[in-house]
Amino acid sequence: MTNGSIMPINPKDTKHPELRTVLLFCLFVLLLMVAGCGEEKTPGTDRKADATADAAPAARRPREPLPEGIVWQTNDTDPVFASPEAVRGGTLHEALLSFPLTFRTVGPDSNSSFRSAILDNQLSLVGIHPNTEKIIPELATHWAFDPDGRTMYFKLDRRARWSDGHPVTADDFAYTLDFMRSEHIVAPWYNDYYSREIERVIIYDDHTLAVVAARPVPDLHLRIAFAPTPEHFYGRLNDDFVLAYNWEIVPNTGPYQISDFEKGRRVRFKRKENWWAEDRRYFRHRFNADTVVFTVVRDFNLTWEYFKKRRLDTFALNLPEYWHVKSRTEVVEKGYVERIWFFNDTQQSAQGLWLNLDREIFADRRVRYAFAHAMNVEKVIDQVLRGDYYRLEHGFMGYGAYSNPEIRARRFDLGKVEALMTEAGWRRGADGIWTRDDRRFAVEVTYSLEEHTPRLVVLKEEARKAGVELQLRRLDATAAYKKVLEKKHDVAWMGWSTSLRPQYWEHFHSVNAHKPQTNNITNTDDPEMDRIIDAYRNSLDATKRAALSRQIQAKIHEIGAFVPTFMVPYVRQAYWRWWRLPEPAGTRHTGDLFDPFGSATGGLFWYDPARHAETEAAMKAGRGFEPVTRIDETYKMPSLR
Amino acid sequence: MPRFQFNPPTLRKIRRFQSIRRGWWSLVVFGCMVVASLFAELWVNDRALVVRYQGEFYFPGYSDPLPGATFGLDYAYETDYRDLARRFAAAGDGNWVLMPLVPYGPYTTDLRDDAFPPFPPDWRQRHFFGTDTVGRDVLARLVYGFRIAILFSLGLLAVNYAIGVSLGCAMGYFGGRFDLFFQRLIEVWSNVPFLYVIIIISSIVVPSFWILVLIMAIFGWIGITWTMRTVTYKERERDYVLAARVLGASHGRIILRHILPNTVAVIVTYAPFSVSSGIVALTSLDYLGFGLPPPTPSWGELLAQGWTYMSAWWIVASVVGAMVVTLVAVTFIGEAVREALDPKRYTIYE
Repeated sequence: MTNGSIMPINPKDTKHPELRTVLLFCLFVLLLMVAGCGEEKTPGTDRKADATADAAPAARRPREPLPEGIVWQTNDTDPVFASPEAVRGGTLHEALLSFPLTFRTVGPDSNSSFRSAILDNQLSLVGIHPNTEKIIPELATHWAFDPDGRTMYFKLDRRARWSDGHPVTADDFAYTLDFMRSEHIVAPWYNDYYSREIERVIIYDDHTLAVVAARPVPDLHLRIAFAPTPEHFYGRLNDDFVLAYNWEIVPNTGPYQISDFEKGRRVRFKRKENWWAEDRRYFRHRFNADTVVFTVVRDFNLTWEYFKKRRLDTFALNLPEYWHVKSRTEVVEKGYVERIWFFNDTQQSAQGLWLNLDREIFADRRVRYAFAHAMNVEKVIDQVLRGDYYRLEHGFMGYGAYSNPEIRARRFDLGKVEALMTEAGWRRGADGIWTRDDRRFAVEVTYSLEEHTPRLVVLKEEARKAGVELQLRRLDATAAYKKVLEKKHDVAWMGWSTSLRPQYWEHFHSVNAHKPQTNNITNTDDPEMDRIIDAYRNSLDATKRAALSRQIQAKIHEIGAFVPTFMVPYVRQAYWRWWRLPEPAGTRHTGDLFDPFGSATGGLFWYDPARHAETEAAMKAGRGFEPVTRIDETYKMPSLR
Repeated sequence: MPRFQFNPPTLRKIRRFQSIRRGWWSLVVFGCMVVASLFAELWVNDRALVVRYQGEFYFPGYSDPLPGATFGLDYAYETDYRDLARRFAAAGDGNWVLMPLVPYGPYTTDLRDDAFPPFPPDWRQRHFFGTDTVGRDVLARLVYGFRIAILFSLGLLAVNYAIGVSLGCAMGYFGGRFDLFFQRLIEVWSNVPFLYVIIIISSIVVPSFWILVLIMAIFGWIGITWTMRTVTYKERERDYVLAARVLGASHGRIILRHILPNTVAVIVTYAPFSVSSGIVALTSLDYLGFGLPPPTPSWGELLAQGWTYMSAWWIVASVVGAMVVTLVAVTFIGEAVREALDPKRYTIYE
């Protein structure tokens, strides 16, 4: 379990809903953001002089003349989402399940959940508005698209500063490419991405640049709006990089910087005084806490105890057990701690049962449909998950216009199973399970999370009524993942992480079918599907792409190799009542209301000293307040209303 | 071959064992538990023992599942006999259902519309030990879990002793290079951290009952081999073995007819302790999630649930209670056996 603000960002994660405090506004943008390192020297760190001393300043990069006829755009008209009532101050205490192995954000051991706390303080060229999904300024104030479909121009904010006071210049972006392509950082994924996807950075002057992608792609800004890397800090890289920068505080451009840390115990972030962007339209009234302290608490249950003892300020209550049972406790009932149930409308993970079409039994579409009708997902939701989860209707909900609202998942229906199976030539065997030619309708379900066993046990019992036998096979996460990627499963119980736009090619294109180590785990192999997916990938027109996307989803439903199960389109959190949230409490894409740093949705909350004093006094006197459970349905998905 | 008969010393040992009351009664209790678990379908089951419907008798307990339609219900899947009993009782037209004492199977999920499991013990619902977190009866899972655990440890015992006794005897009897080779092999083998190996193996393949027995046996034969080697080594030098050899007996005959019967005391003494360690091993593997695949009823899985849901005290109390009773019984039996077989009967060490 993560406690809200911090979460692993790994495209290969098989996530499950409780873990999804995700915004994943763009997986890409996050992955692209790269670290710089810090200036504010701290008692805990002694900067190794030799790490930078060798580095000769790079020769000044050539400047090219700016092409004619660029039409600059900006966005200063979209609604703001922070509260003007917000005031500065206070310290937010958060928990970490383990201390990061390094502060580097690239290279060995850097992919920890803590990395996002560092990366969130590295702004990109542009961001995305969390409600309108339009481009908004971050480090660049203006941008423009070249007609070639793969070049974007940017004008940097002249006031943008690194945390050590150096101005952010176009050279820092060019340096990102040098840095990310360097073998010294020992990060093959980044090496590859920045070589294959980004062709080059063109510098026109210190504050004007262009980024060129390797080929025209839809939503170009998601692909190329990366973060700068402080050239003055790193200089020329050498073999020492991995060791030398393990605990360096890299200069950054965001609102907070690490001020001090104690290895294995805590990390403290301080808000910068006079941060260069604090009056920008979309950053005003945000990032209000003076300090944010992450303390290591190595056990999830213990985190809850720490929270009740006021040593942590917020706690994620997404798990039904915590929301319904464990939070029936004194601090909540006396109103010292408030609870919020905030519905969002963000990309939902494709959770469910993935049937392997290369298995003979699933070759017949009627059998696949019957299998779907044999899964009593509603009963699991009502009687195991306390009605807290929602039925996922198809694999790509929450993608706005890219989602097809008309698709409904096949519901548990014994009559339909009966009709489909009889039509396909099967009959019930002596033990009540469907059989045909000595083949029983018994399939193995591979899964890995122990917490999911109760759900599967109920599905199994219900499926038996429908004449389908599920054999549950729980494997260790790595083993399960390997088995599924090698397509050795009958049915895989898993979910995929999300991105801003639906990705179909890796999951449903025949290019990826019938071979190991691809994400087409259903082995979907359908010429019509290939045709629409290719059209979707090759189109640069957003409207057309959205229409194609909806068409692909209908096709996926028709093929019936994926049985969608649950989604959790909300976050639930508990917080001490001196923390205040705006109205509405978050944005359409908020995954954690108390995310302190995220440039898209973070930092909306603030500290109220008067309420703090009032609460302290009341607690001392034993007085209580009216308990508060706030339910915010502003962004609830239309289909759930 | 003469008819098998206990010789007088053996009979004396059996009488001696019976005279140790603690061990004897432990054996009786333990024996009852095993027998009760072997016939668990008769008293812990979600299928009825007898159904009387329209003048005919049905015995669903050990037969193929009977669809609901058999009894005039409107579904084709297996009859819900608890529901059927209620319906028959309500209708009152001479049909009846005799349910077992505990009317739940180990896989039956008893979910309700107005509450969420785990449910506390409830005599009216006949959840004598309550339910687990999925609404399955704790007693049912304990009983079926016990059956699996006891069969598992007996199976493991058989495999371990088959390997250990034969190899140990051969090592002790033949000695020389054969002995040296296997000694070194055992030394190397016993340094492999076996729990890790089992965890690694069972995270890659989902172990079935026999695969798990075999995996455990790969490391389990060492102890008894070592002991048997020592004992055989000692016996080999005795005069009666020499005499047998002088008379021209073959190696096989000497080992099987002369040495083995004289080492039985050791084997029998070790057996109960091996049984309890087998149960503990299976339980701990299940607890860690590397044992038999879910939803197999298992004590370890119950223990893990009890740990997560401490507030549902009946889960952890039942399984801990059951483990204490079983392991104490087995240990008492083992002690009594050892004492009964001890030749130094009248020696008292103070």
